[in-house]
Amino acid sequence: MTSGYGRFALARAGQAAVVVLLAYVLTFLVISVLPGDAITNSLRDPQSGLSEADIQRIVQYYGLDQPVLVQLALSLGRFLTGELGFSLQSNLPVAQIVGDALPSTLTLASTALAIAVVFAIGIAYGAHYAPPRWAGLLRSIPSFFLSVPNFVIGLVLIELFAFRLHAFTTTDPNSATATLFAAVTLAIPVSAPLAEVLIASLDHESRQEYALVARSRGLDGAQLFARHLVKPSALPSVAMVALIVGELLGGSVITETIFGRDGIGTVVQKAVTGEDQPVLQAVVSLSAVVFVAVNLAADLLTPLLDPRVNVREAANA
Amino acid sequence: MSAPNPGGPTTGKDTTVPETKPSPLLGVEGLHVAYGDRKVVHDVGFTLARGGSLALIGESGSGKSTIAKAVLRLLQPAEASVGGSVRLAGTEVLSLPERQFRALRGRQLGFIPQDPGSALNPVRSIGTQAHEAAALTGERDAAVRRRIILEVFEQVGLPDPVRVYDSYPHQLSGGMLQRVLIALTVLPRPSLIVADEPTSALDVTVQKLILDLLGDLRKELDIGLLLITHDLAIAAERADTLVVLKDGAVQEQGPAAQVFAAPRTDYARNLQADVPALNPDRYRSQRTGAPQDTLQRTWQDSASQDVATQDGTTADSTTADATTADRPAQIAVTDVTKSFRTRGKEVRAVDGVSFAVERGRTHALVGESGSGKTTAVRLLLGLEQPDSGTITVGGHSTAGLTRAGLRDVRRHLQLVYQNPFTSLDPTWRVGRIIREPLDRFGVGSTADRDHRVREALQSVGLPDDASDRRPAQLSGGQRQRVAIARALVVRPDVVVLDEPTSALDVSVQAGILELLARLQRDLGLTYVFVSHDLALVRQMADTVSVLRRGQVVEHGTVDQVFDRPQHPYTRALLDAIPGTSGLASPAMADAPAEHRHIPKLAEAAV
Repeated sequence: MTSGYGRFALARAGQAAVVVLLAYVLTFLVISVLPGDAITNSLRDPQSGLSEADIQRIVQYYGLDQPVLVQLALSLGRFLTGELGFSLQSNLPVAQIVGDALPSTLTLASTALAIAVVFAIGIAYGAHYAPPRWAGLLRSIPSFFLSVPNFVIGLVLIELFAFRLHAFTTTDPNSATATLFAAVTLAIPVSAPLAEVLIASLDHESRQEYALVARSRGLDGAQLFARHLVKPSALPSVAMVALIVGELLGGSVITETIFGRDGIGTVVQKAVTGEDQPVLQAVVSLSAVVFVAVNLAADLLTPLLDPRVNVREAANA
Repeated sequence: MSAPNPGGPTTGKDTTVPETKPSPLLGVEGLHVAYGDRKVVHDVGFTLARGGSLALIGESGSGKSTIAKAVLRLLQPAEASVGGSVRLAGTEVLSLPERQFRALRGRQLGFIPQDPGSALNPVRSIGTQAHEAAALTGERDAAVRRRIILEVFEQVGLPDPVRVYDSYPHQLSGGMLQRVLIALTVLPRPSLIVADEPTSALDVTVQKLILDLLGDLRKELDIGLLLITHDLAIAAERADTLVVLKDGAVQEQGPAAQVFAAPRTDYARNLQADVPALNPDRYRSQRTGAPQDTLQRTWQDSASQDVATQDGTTADSTTADATTADRPAQIAVTDVTKSFRTRGKEVRAVDGVSFAVERGRTHALVGESGSGKTTAVRLLLGLEQPDSGTITVGGHSTAGLTRAGLRDVRRHLQLVYQNPFTSLDPTWRVGRIIREPLDRFGVGSTADRDHRVREALQSVGLPDDASDRRPAQLSGGQRQRVAIARALVVRPDVVVLDEPTSALDVSVQAGILELLARLQRDLGLTYVFVSHDLALVRQMADTVSVLRRGQVVEHGTVDQVFDRPQHPYTRALLDAIPGTSGLASPAMADAPAEHRHIPKLAEAAV
């Protein structure tokens, strides 16, 4: 198992790296075919206050006087050595801009993910073991969660908890409580599909004969859930979590704006309006890295959860 | 909790039992179960003595599994309402609070399910699931529990218990899984085991081993057994008392010997008559319409020539020219080999197989899972090409044919598949299903096709209006009739029957077999009959090849093979037929003397 699993993990990690590189190339090409030469435009802007020597240096750095493919090669080479370039708006290193914004967004997204998972498990468990009347109500929650846009949830939470109950203040968006409410806002729509998948797979698994046989061995509802049903039901949910991360990244832009947090969302917003190509390139690549990494984790987790998955065959697939 | 029929006469014969006599292990009285408005069990009552065994027999829909689940209280309260009384060692269990009843589960009441393949959690190791059963003994030390588990694995005859302990369910065979489940059930030493069709998903030889094991353990540990089965032969062989159920009501109950040998009700009589093992000659006369001995002689002539081929004297003697002109071989399979590569290993699925079938006769391919019978059928149908050897159907070789050529062969060679619940498209109406091959092969005009569909429906005994129904509106037996009609509508010469009745109840099976026998007589069809059920083969076939690991270990006429089996494997298969090996069965050994004449009776019948 171990050596087979090691080879499987290596193969999957290799595939993931290829995906990240392709995403980088694609982003670069998309930005470069967009109308208007973003870099030159902002460089030639009289308000940028750059001297001719500075401009010359920057043009050389990005290879702007050379064909697109050469620019791509230069850019890719820098990306591979970890160099992200400089913002065209502020002249700060992109790594620094992103690095400053990242902790806030990561805290928000990971808290939201944790809350979403807890919500989903709670709803699914309740939908199964609560008295029938409550269970029916719980089953309708996911579709309700999905149908409310998250800016509405955010505004309602701010109105209720910040302005009426004074649980947190909007002037200090990075406090623990404010972060928690922002995370709840982000978590609610994200937990809905997860809860639905969990409910469906719990339904499926609890109808299987092994669940009946396990009950005949004297297991009660909670034991059956924890020992027998969680693991097989988690299998489709793990894939779902990997997809949800994409939604978290997108949703965080809106949530950050509503709660006034400075994060990646704000960076993206500024970069898009200011046509700040290096920052955009970095943020999109970063998203690709996160997305691919989470999916890689889900891939690597599946054979550990399900012994029926043959890693040798999966590695060759 | 009393029976919900206050107006009707009460069953008042056993109402005072618990006070005076020592209470029986299990006493069921006036049991009613309803799924919503649909009542599926009516006023069922029986008692099972301590250490005794009782079989509930019935066909699908008879309510036997529902009764088992009601006794185990495994029915969901939201789905089923249960009334009446179930007493376990004098304690009323239906009214017991869930918490108190849960303490009885496993410890007092064990459950062995039908399909071992789905009865263990696929993503947890056998060992972790075994610990749940071991925990019921109250043992807290995990190391001690592990030792107990390995001991009980040893006891149920599992080779290499440590490997089994560390395995996941998908890594073990069905027979091994059922041994694991039996081990887990007997481990906490329950006083009653409910076994719901414990062997119906297993091969016959494995089935016998499992039933023997269950009988031995029962005797050794003094456990009562409530056996749920559709197989009267198994029930009679393995239980002291039989309860025959139909539509949720008891038809007849009594000592096994009495119910089995001298059934009082028509239903039980029919059930008995439909068991293939007990009535081997049932279809013989109507199938051939010829006296048996003539038939046999004719076959033996060709069989001796067939043997000559096996010795390698002449390669072509089995084909049409070998047999006399009036009896040409419809199908000749000569020295066919087919291998598959799986995980770098080469597996010979079919290894040097030869057989020949005369026109209008039935040849059976018998074997257990993995014997190569499915591959043999695929080769015959041209779905696979053999690595070596030749297959001719009606004198034409199926090898190296073009697509059009294969289509032509297939038209004369139709398949009736095992499971009529999955082989018919649920969204199509019956008429369209039967008509499809006519459209495919472009047979006749539109009016012609309609006519032939009606004709096919009639020939399989379905009403004309059946053609407007969808498969879901038909019973299993009717669906299989549709599948047969679909095969017959193109007027084939050869029909391959791949376990055509294994998904059906025994009485439905009898109807289908009767139909097949009649069609063969009327239309002169040649059958290739694939089955693992030797009793059925004896009823249906003229000649038989016994397959094991891709090779023919024995072949000949049915009488030769069944009366004078030469190969030990054939003998093992024959011994495994329930109802024929009662003398060796542990359930019988300790039965009262009056029960013992069953095996003799069964032997005399076979």
